[in-house]
Amino acid sequence: MDETPFQIDTRGEFSFPENHKFDAGFGLTEATIDYICDAKGEPDWVRQFRKDALKKFNEMPMPTHWAPEGINDLDFDKIRYYLSHGTMPYKDWEEVPDDVKRTFERLGVPEQERAFLAGVDAQYDSETAYNNMREELSKQGVIFVNSTEGLKEYEHIFRPWFGKVIPVTDNKFSALNHAAFSGCSFIYVPTGVKVAQPLQAYFRINSESMGQFERTLIIADEGAELMYMEGCTAPKYDSATLHSGVVELVALKGAKIQYVTVQNWATNVYNLVIQRGLAMEDAEIRWIDCNLGSGLTMKYPAVVLQGRRARGEVVSISLAHSGQLQDTGARMIHAAPETTSNIVAKSISIGEGRASYRGEVNVLKGMKGCKNNTECDALLINANSRTDTYPAISVHGNASAVQHEASVSQVDEEMLFYMQQRGLTRAQAMSLAVNGFINDLVKEFPMEYSVELRRLIDLEMEDSIG
Amino acid sequence: MDFPQNMSMEEAFALAEAEAKLKQALTESKARFENAVIPNRLNEDWRFGRPHKHAVALAELLQSDTPSQGEATVQHAGEAAVPVTAEDDDLRQTEMLMPTIGSDALLGMHLKRFGDGYALYIEEDTKEPILLTYKTDTLYTPSTFIMVAPGVKAHVIEQHYGCEKGTIFATRNIQVAEGAELKVELQPYGCARCMSITNIQNMGGKVVHYTHHFACDWAREETVAEIYTPGADNQLFSANKLDLDQVLDQHTRQIHHVGGATSNLLYKNVVDDNATGIFAGNIYVAPGAHNTDAYQSNRNMLLSEKATIHSLPGLEILADKVRCSHGSASAPMDEEQLFYLLSRGIPRDEALALVSHGFLQDVVDKFERS
Repeated sequence: MDETPFQIDTRGEFSFPENHKFDAGFGLTEATIDYICDAKGEPDWVRQFRKDALKKFNEMPMPTHWAPEGINDLDFDKIRYYLSHGTMPYKDWEEVPDDVKRTFERLGVPEQERAFLAGVDAQYDSETAYNNMREELSKQGVIFVNSTEGLKEYEHIFRPWFGKVIPVTDNKFSALNHAAFSGCSFIYVPTGVKVAQPLQAYFRINSESMGQFERTLIIADEGAELMYMEGCTAPKYDSATLHSGVVELVALKGAKIQYVTVQNWATNVYNLVIQRGLAMEDAEIRWIDCNLGSGLTMKYPAVVLQGRRARGEVVSISLAHSGQLQDTGARMIHAAPETTSNIVAKSISIGEGRASYRGEVNVLKGMKGCKNNTECDALLINANSRTDTYPAISVHGNASAVQHEASVSQVDEEMLFYMQQRGLTRAQAMSLAVNGFINDLVKEFPMEYSVELRRLIDLEMEDSIG
Repeated sequence: MDFPQNMSMEEAFALAEAEAKLKQALTESKARFENAVIPNRLNEDWRFGRPHKHAVALAELLQSDTPSQGEATVQHAGEAAVPVTAEDDDLRQTEMLMPTIGSDALLGMHLKRFGDGYALYIEEDTKEPILLTYKTDTLYTPSTFIMVAPGVKAHVIEQHYGCEKGTIFATRNIQVAEGAELKVELQPYGCARCMSITNIQNMGGKVVHYTHHFACDWAREETVAEIYTPGADNQLFSANKLDLDQVLDQHTRQIHHVGGATSNLLYKNVVDDNATGIFAGNIYVAPGAHNTDAYQSNRNMLLSEKATIHSLPGLEILADKVRCSHGSASAPMDEEQLFYLLSRGIPRDEALALVSHGFLQDVVDKFERS
């Protein structure tokens, strides 16, 4: 298969010469934290906060006696906890592997964007467009900054919610993130403001791009609305092997937040992300989640439905190729009456890939009129693909209704036969069938993402059907 | 090793190999019991089951000086029934090799008390259901072995009477040969604590398994239904009404070692008062077990504000040509059905009982039809 444009199996094996302006070295100690704080010029309370979290991190056990075995291979001392390369390009386009370049071409990623995605350019160079957008945003009173700036300049807004949705002691990786966080976005949308265009992580200038321990806090004040997008469909390279992000969303009364993630890390990356949203009265939080890359993903977007009539939704697509374990899912905690939630998860396992759904739905004591609906569908492409489903549903009381359905299937031979008869190759037929399988979910993604997603699935299928 | 005189070389080899495998399995299983810890909160298979309370209490009782004392009777069995004795090493070995769902330590304790119960070697169709009864008001640890010969149709009812304060911890080993059909019921009544570990080994027959718990304070049920031969069919049913402070902790595994077989599960619970129902099921389809049909369904009706349901329906599928699905639903009683009865002058209490009875009767009907 010479023409293979995209081979996940080899993606993690490239390395680039690095030229970082700041490098905190290996391992995480108090000195590392001091280094990070000095480099970022953070206030003292943040420094203390990080140090307290470090203590917790060291005390806490690995959280997951049920977790995949691969997680025990993590060596926390062999990880660099802070790298920053300033704004200078730090890689050479020539060094980007050919198959990645080809993937960019096939996906139709714009030239400038490609350079950024491949790590050649430290920033996505669209200053004019961005500046216009920023002006408009700040006119509306929207604050869109990085974590350092957020905690320094807008302490009164962000500090009250920082670490409140996902506390330090939530689990070991949460403590780790609280100790070493850097990068990503802090967003505040004022009362009643509806942000028209989606905000994107890589539009921001003069800040670290997606870090290893990215930290996002989005607060939508009463009646506000926004959509936030993170990641991209094109393969994302990074020499770092552990990504442990924390994303906190706060939707105050009547607010709406949509959070879109598309993750396509190299397979040498552990992707352990904690995402949780707090939905107050009449608020709505939607997680739209797509996991394509990474060797081991553990990610269960959660919504705590804290106010009456709050609504939570998780739409999740995951694709596991050989050598990948996509352990994804969703959590819905119904902590107020009349709250509703919906989970739709679809996974595709190719080759020896393994996709798992792990979910929790909990209707707490005394809650009335709560409703949850969960659907998980798995598609197995090859004979030795694997899929698992591990939901946990708890219902207290006789005034709520919860339902869960899951199914496992393979692509119907007759369907393929029908398409092949009409002149499609087997690979084309397969990718059409797979695209059909996730079609109703892909629609949930913003236009350009859904186009890219479809193309990417075509590519994956071309590889796996030989 | 002594071989029968008229045995061919191949048969002798196969026998020797089987013996070696058994020996290894027994050594491994010994290590399994030595390393096992009493279920604690880190034991995923006891999630929501409050092991610190229930598992520990059972383990303490099993490790105490309290003797295993009870009454075992069997009716309509003819010559099929043989009492289990502590000296029967073959049966003891069978029990040693039984899989559990997170309770190896407790099975190890059961083995130390091995020597009660009945083995049923069923070689002829049963005209009347064989009725097996275990009764105690202290502690009883019987083992049941049911073996059904090829092509034989049998029906077995196993009842556990706990006389309100008795504890019954039973193991049940069911082996069904090709073409055989076994209907088997488990009915624990009025136990303070009641635990059963069941292993169904289906070699190409049909097993229809039904459990019904009645007035047990705490009951845990572990059922591992394994399929070893294509064409086998396992049907698992359960219907229970829980009230007061009762806890019912049900765990199932539907294991397909080979393809071309079917398994189906339907567990329904009606939960009232302060009771708790836990269902944790899993379908496992081994690599290469293609053309498997496996279904699992858990339905719960909640009748009171303090009733609790934990449902964990799981799937682990390692082969691609399969049809597998699971579903779980927990909801209050349908108001419309209730309204229909009320509008016909039936008092509310009776109407409630009727609707919940109808909800469970569906399972009984399915059991009787299959």
